[in-house]
Parts: sequence; structure tokens; C-alpha cells
Amino acid sequence: MEQTAAFEDDRLKQALTLSLNGDAEAFADLVREHQGMVFSIAYHYLQDRSLAEDLAQEVFLELFQSIERIQSPAHLTYWLRKVTANRCIDQGRKKSRHREMALEEAPEPVTASAHTDPMLLDKLQQSLATLPEKQRLVVIMRFQEGLGPAEIAEVLEMPVNTVKSTLHRSLADLRKGLTRKIREVRYAFF
Amino acid sequence: MHFSEDDLREALKRKDPGEGFTQRVMARVNQAKAEGTAQPTTKKPNGKLLAWWMLRPAWTIAVVAVLLLAFGIGGYQYSEYRHAVENRIAREKQQQLQREAERARDQAILALEIARAKMNHVLQHAQLQAEPNKIRRERL
Repeated sequence: MEQTAAFEDDRLKQALTLSLNGDAEAFADLVREHQGMVFSIAYHYLQDRSLAEDLAQEVFLELFQSIERIQSPAHLTYWLRKVTANRCIDQGRKKSRHREMALEEAPEPVTASAHTDPMLLDKLQQSLATLPEKQRLVVIMRFQEGLGPAEIAEVLEMPVNTVKSTLHRSLADLRKGLTRKIREVRYAFF
Repeated sequence: MHFSEDDLREALKRKDPGEGFTQRVMARVNQAKAEGTAQPTTKKPNGKLLAWWMLRPAWTIAVVAVLLLAFGIGGYQYSEYRHAVENRIAREKQQQLQREAERARDQAILALEIARAKMNHVLQHAQLQAEPNKIRRERL
């Protein structure tokens, strides 16, 4: 397992060096490696597939322009998360749509595993879209990227304690929002 | 309705941007390269700025003149401000001294009035004691 990780790290280091020297194939390799992460952060934040794809493409274009600043594969991941988060906030503000409107957009159906309720996951995604921007990003960084509070604090440039309290508040808000949604569904049926 | 952290992880599972994403990114990179907007530059922007200034001596002189003027005005205003502050402090000190002098004068006047009252009192007593002796002398 460790050997595989070390091998992967070496491969990315090599791709980074080659990209710096203008190797397009190596850069494409870096894109392939990180596209899932960048696209998912954007998608979960914006809840819009085409906007998320546009944003992800812009992030990689910026990476191409700033590749000489990247020092290591770990730094690359950190840089991509940070730039994506900042662009998400900018994009979210540009959209200037009411959050409830975003809820009306049907997000991509969730492919749930056997033990999870697809309706619950769907509602969770919709409730996430109602959270304020920083809260949404903190939740995405925590549960999509699996980052700890200190790492989230570094990426989003927030104090660690603020991250912890934001996370706590976000989960409470999600629970509240979810309960409200379920009630709305019940009223609609009965 | 309750959900676990695993449910949240499941809901926020990484998604694939779909077929051909890498190609689309590379196409945008190539397009930007062709337009000259995307170059992995190693030059620092400061170098460019410096070169720009070097090529425009008139601008450089104007900027230096503006800076000198700004520093001059700033320095003059600062010295004026300092002068005003010093004047204010001196004025306040003088006013305080005057207040203290007035207080001392008031205290001295009060002390003199008390002394005068006591002297009057003593004088009245002395006169009262002298009064019967005078009457007796007159009868004799």
C-alpha cells in the first residue's frame, strides 16, 4: 500500500517536472489525476453540472499558467483545492440567484450504495445548497475531501476554531433543513 | 430526520466530470497558448513593470516629482501638526498653573478672613472684661 503511494507520488512529481518544461501529455496526466476532485468541489458547491465543468476548466487553465509556482504533488492538491474554493465563492456570487431557485434545479441523481437511502442523499444535497457559502465549502472539504479542521482552515484561510464551529453549525442547519423538507413532502402527500 | 456522517460522505462522493474532460481542458490550454494568454511564464511581473518605467523617462520623472511633492506636503503638514500639538500642551500647562495660583490666592484670602474673625472675637472679649473696671472707676 505504502509502496503504491510512493510510486504514485513519484509519478506525479515526474509529471509536474515535465509539465514545467512544457510537456502537454504530462500536464494532461495531472489534469486526469485531479479532475474528479476539482469538478466535485465545484459541482457540490454550485449544484450545476455545466457551471462546475466550466469552473474546473478555468482552474486547470490557471494551473497551467501558474505551474512554476507548484513545488510538490501535495502542494498541487492544496493549490487546486484553494483556487477551486475561491473560484466557487466568486462564481456563486456572480450567479446572484436566490438559493431557493438553486433548489429547484434538479441535481444529478445520486447513485447510492445498497445501504443508503437515495431520497435522503438527494435531500442532503439539496439542503447543502441552502447553506451559506463558507459553511457549504467547509462541509464539502470535510466530507468530500476528508480534510481535518486544521487543513480546512489552511485551504479556506480561516481560524481552526471557526472551522470547528462552522462545521458544527452546518450539520445542525443541515439536520434542520432536512427535517423541514421531509415535513414539506409529508404535507404534499397527505 | 437523522443522517449519519457516512450519509453525508455518500452524498458528497467525488463525481466524474465525464468523458473527454481532459481533452476539453487541453483544448482550452492550447487555444489560450495560441492566443498568447496562457504561457507558463518564469519571468516575474516586477521585471516587466521595471522595464516599462525604464522605457518611459517622462513618466518616471513625473512620478518622482509627484512623490517628492507628496512627501513635501506631507512633511509640512506633519510639522504643522506637531507645532499645533506643542502649542496646545503649553497652553494647557499655563492654564493649569493659573488655576493653581488662583486656588492658592483664594486659600490665602480665606485664611486672612478666619484670622480677622478670630482677632475680632478676642478684641470683643477684651473689651467686655475692661468695661466693669471702667464703670467702677467712674463711680469712685
